[in-house]
Amino acid sequence: MATSCPVDLDTIRLRAEISTIYARVAADPGGDFHFHRGPAYAAELLGYDAAELAALPADSTAAFAGVSNPLAIAPLEPGATVVDIGSGAGMDLMLAARRVGPSGRAIGVDMTPAMIDRARSSAHAAGLDNVEIRLGDAQALPLDDASIDVVISNGVLNLTTDKLEAFSEIWRVLKPGGRLQLGDIVVESELSEGIRRDVDLWTG
Amino acid sequence: MLSQLGFQDVAVVARFDCFRGTSKERIAQKYGVRGVNLLARKQYR
Repeated sequence: MATSCPVDLDTIRLRAEISTIYARVAADPGGDFHFHRGPAYAAELLGYDAAELAALPADSTAAFAGVSNPLAIAPLEPGATVVDIGSGAGMDLMLAARRVGPSGRAIGVDMTPAMIDRARSSAHAAGLDNVEIRLGDAQALPLDDASIDVVISNGVLNLTTDKLEAFSEIWRVLKPGGRLQLGDIVVESELSEGIRRDVDLWTG
Repeated sequence: MLSQLGFQDVAVVARFDCFRGTSKERIAQKYGVRGVNLLARKQYR
């Protein structure tokens, strides 16, 4: 299975395209995209609790663009430190923050400033003092070694250009015994070099 | 890959048809692209 992109893939352009798309999602969640967004999608296709989502600021749920439900994998313990890699507008991050409670921490890491702004505003509006969001990259997490109880992520690692590096970072920041609760897309067929080299197919 | 890094108890625990109804539904079906929930644990020392 390929875990890295083709050596001649324009990774700088890929990263720029990803940032552009998710900045657009942050600015206009109702715009035209090839992927679903929002709380109705999260509840109907991914199994999120609609009432729980309705209690969050609409600015965070409207721009949700995940592909699965990592919080459903296992309960988050009160007092735990959780990191959401690619926290976006903050929907999963705030759900995590509520679960770990005031004695826990919910840290978001995202590379899109517009998403960080949206998530910070929403966390403040929701009164969540245990939320912190850091500008950063899944392949170079701004976190100390062995500092995290649970890593969550939703539809983000598929966009990294070096999966081994990204998973190595997750390994590095997790405490011994810590959990990875990953939501992402997988491909059942091996993709051709041509497809893996097409930046447009990576981003939509 | 996860096992090679030292993760244990690696398991896909749920699958989601996250592209249903999108403009990418056909290509997702063609290549078997779907959302999954995956659990893994870092071993204790």
